[in-house]
Amino acid sequence: MARKSPSKAMQLTGYRRPNGAVGVRNHVLILPVDDLSNAAAEGVARLINGTTALPHPYGRLQFGEDLELTFRTLSGHGANANVHGVVVIGIEPKWTDRVASAIAKTGKPVETFSIERHGDLNVINAASRVAYQMVQDASELRREPIEVSELVLSIKCGESDPTLGLAGNKAQGRAVDRLVDMGASVIFGETSELTGGEHLIANRCATPALKRKFMQIYNDYIAMIEAQGVDLLGSQPTEGNIRGGLSTIEEKALGNIQKTGTRPVNAVLNYAEPVKPGLGLVFMNSSSAGAEQVTLCAAGGSVLHFFTTGQGNIVGHPLIPVIKVSPNPITCSTMSEHIDVKLPDLLVGDISLDQAADRILDVFARTVNGRLTAAELLRHSEFVITKLYPSA
Amino acid sequence: MAHRALAHKSTDDVAIAVADLKAGEELTIHSLEGGKPHKVKLLEDVPLGHKVALKDLPKGHVVIEYGEKVGQMTQAVARGGYVHVHNIRTLRWNYGEKAKSAKPKASSRAKGGR
Repeated sequence: MARKSPSKAMQLTGYRRPNGAVGVRNHVLILPVDDLSNAAAEGVARLINGTTALPHPYGRLQFGEDLELTFRTLSGHGANANVHGVVVIGIEPKWTDRVASAIAKTGKPVETFSIERHGDLNVINAASRVAYQMVQDASELRREPIEVSELVLSIKCGESDPTLGLAGNKAQGRAVDRLVDMGASVIFGETSELTGGEHLIANRCATPALKRKFMQIYNDYIAMIEAQGVDLLGSQPTEGNIRGGLSTIEEKALGNIQKTGTRPVNAVLNYAEPVKPGLGLVFMNSSSAGAEQVTLCAAGGSVLHFFTTGQGNIVGHPLIPVIKVSPNPITCSTMSEHIDVKLPDLLVGDISLDQAADRILDVFARTVNGRLTAAELLRHSEFVITKLYPSA
Repeated sequence: MAHRALAHKSTDDVAIAVADLKAGEELTIHSLEGGKPHKVKLLEDVPLGHKVALKDLPKGHVVIEYGEKVGQMTQAVARGGYVHVHNIRTLRWNYGEKAKSAKPKASSRAKGGR
């Protein structure tokens, strides 16, 4: 029997940006370049309805690759296709302009404000007037028909347990295969959490060069951990994972990998590198901590994230909807308000993997079209920049 | 009838409870990828999400799940027993011992994850 293809029925709408990138939300972003500028950015966001500030603790006296990653994370959020326009606020004009110019390459409206020689109140006044206009313009944009092949998506699991490897991640993997076959890019990561299954990912890399690059990134990550004189016992698996039934990192990794589906890995990227649609499955080096990985994916261009959870991770993001999928009946009943796609019937075998994937893709299509996720409704807007080493 | 426990492969050493299981239950455990089901009488309670031994697993046995190596038994467990952190450990790191590559530093910045 031919598999029922939800792509036929999937009528998707989104926002097409000046550079052709397609988003599923329409934010006006107030972006502080550094920790000192959070107060002004949040001041603007409080004054002007419909704006989103992204406060964070970094951006002062960083250097080298760590500074580049912070810049890439900030400008990647501004460039994200879920964003209509950006107001960039920093203490000094030079770095503020650098973040803004990277965003301006997308053709979207960007304005900068620096606080030195002006003060917070003058900046909040001027920036609020600009934000006011951006929100009014954004409010007049209309959704238009889009294709799955125009989207960059991302996946992660958290508070994992063996119900994910058995059901939730397997169903998610089936959905990922279908999205990749329809032409989407799908980002996965969680470098340390591939331990025990890294050979399976390496063997799915599309070329020998990609395989070498993947193994280099994986080995460097583990070497970085071991150079601290520690291993990951005690944190991989986490206490929550162990409570849920996971006993070793290998078991966790093999369950984790189920959600990547079965397609080849067509790109191997470092933290927050930009991703275009049409690449298929993409590995991005990242921490396995939920908010950090979702943030890196959003910086890379993901406009929607699938988050499978066993014991009940509740993470969200300020700009991209995070769809929670869980097969665990205890989590689906005790944390019902956090779970968008409930699959306990898959866990006990009452529905098939294809039926479960249909359910995930149905919620995906409705979320793309504007349905709010549990995380959006509950104001989960975690934004966590990955920091590589101490500041100067 | 709804499953009570499921294995990834019929050749695996362990299956996963998909409900809270009680000692004494007699189960027919199927695999997601087909193959011959296992008949198992539970020797202990096994909570939802946790592992049941599908065969006798001696101390030192390398445990197979998903058709892959997931760890090593630190104590023997009989078929129908409960397999968890009290009797299985990772093959990657030495339990309770410092990693060999370097001495611990005061400012450990290693990142855990979830």
